[in-house]
Amino acid sequence: MKHTIILAAAIFFVQVTFAQQDFKSYTATAKSAYAAGKLEDAHFALQQMLQEEEITIGKEVIKLLPPKMDSLQADIKQDHVTGNISFVGATIHRTYNTATRRAELDIINNSPLLGSLNAFLTTPMLGGLLNDGKTKTVKVQGYKARLEKEEGAEGALPSYKLEIPFNSSLVTFRIEKTSETEILTLANTIPLPQIAKLIQ
Amino acid sequence: MKKAFIAFLLIAGSLLLNQQTQAQGFLKKLKDKASKVVDKAIDKKVEDKTGIPSTSGDSQNSGSNGNGPSSSRNGKPTNRTGEGLKNSTPPDVNAQIADAEKAHAEGNFSDARYSIQQALLGVEIQIGQNILKSLPATVNGLTKDSAENRVVSTQWGWSNLTIQSVYKKGEDQQLAVAIGNNTFYSGLINVYFNNTYVQGNGEQQNVKQVKIKGYKALIQFDDSKGYTLLVPLGQTSLITYECINFANEQEVMNAATSFDIDGIKKMLGEQ
Repeated sequence: MKHTIILAAAIFFVQVTFAQQDFKSYTATAKSAYAAGKLEDAHFALQQMLQEEEITIGKEVIKLLPPKMDSLQADIKQDHVTGNISFVGATIHRTYNTATRRAELDIINNSPLLGSLNAFLTTPMLGGLLNDGKTKTVKVQGYKARLEKEEGAEGALPSYKLEIPFNSSLVTFRIEKTSETEILTLANTIPLPQIAKLIQ
Repeated sequence: MKKAFIAFLLIAGSLLLNQQTQAQGFLKKLKDKASKVVDKAIDKKVEDKTGIPSTSGDSQNSGSNGNGPSSSRNGKPTNRTGEGLKNSTPPDVNAQIADAEKAHAEGNFSDARYSIQQALLGVEIQIGQNILKSLPATVNGLTKDSAENRVVSTQWGWSNLTIQSVYKKGEDQQLAVAIGNNTFYSGLINVYFNNTYVQGNGEQQNVKQVKIKGYKALIQFDDSKGYTLLVPLGQTSLITYECINFANEQEVMNAATSFDIDGIKKMLGEQ
């Protein structure tokens, strides 16, 4: 057991060091290319720096997430963080599961879906007219969010999806075989203010 | 005899109709005049009672002469001065990189990201300005209007960097060039190039493929917009030429070839 912990700590340390080194080397490239007037090379190195930074932020966010939600345990092996440039920013993913059901949490920075979601949340007409009885606006830790019900197989409990927009990020939380009360209770265990502070 | 009678009936009918429309026109004029007189009379009465000058009718113009009151009827002042926003200076790239390093070392990742984005913005604006400088001063007798030169860079959304320049001749003829990377359209254009059926649909075509200096391009014609020529460069960049009041395709092609497309491509870092 002790060995496993030491090994895990060593792997984590090596990963962090690699990321640091990457950041440092991209910074050095950006500086030297810019000084030499090679604007395009400097541009590319800066983009790499940005991607590295997005990944670092994503990893910090993962650390903030609760290790379990009620009976649902985090499946750390499925955690992933990707850094993208221009179209979508970082994407952060975590899965929670039990033997029979699973929950997924996705955080996307600069999500292209944000526009329509914000329109839904801020325009009462849209929220009212386009409401098919399966979606509704709720509040989670003071943030406005859209809750959507997805019918499950016959006889099974439905799935629920909760979408919470921050300035330029979108948090999506989806649980299978659940109830409205449960998803809202579990969503309250996600430290949204701290996450918002990091990803904005 | 019968024909003559029908002709007579037709003429009589049309005369009657004509008279009716004339009468309608006259009635409308009379009505307008009457309502104007009534409006004036009411305004005068209101003015006398309240002491506030009325803004309807002829007195409406006095406000826009510059001598009249600067507020409109609802009491909200109308803006007359202000020189607009000044062009912001591009961010200092070296300083932003230094800030990013410092913030990253301190664990302020969000701040570090912001500084990197600012540095990227600075570099992009410089690339854009270099490209603008490299554009020809005149194209087929059209001269560059330097007031319309623009470099826009956003670190967000569909387009990153857009460079725009406008060439004009007289009031009528204009060529607007937009150079951009990461454009939303470049993907769509590749769809065109992979579908040869666009070329021959039998009708008079308004889109076709052409080649400019070895680059595949797409030319389009629209009655109201004129010619549009789209030249994709490398993986994600695109040059758009919008030609208003150009005589024909050849004139558009000649204008497009006066640009150093290879040079632009190189500056955008495309392969």
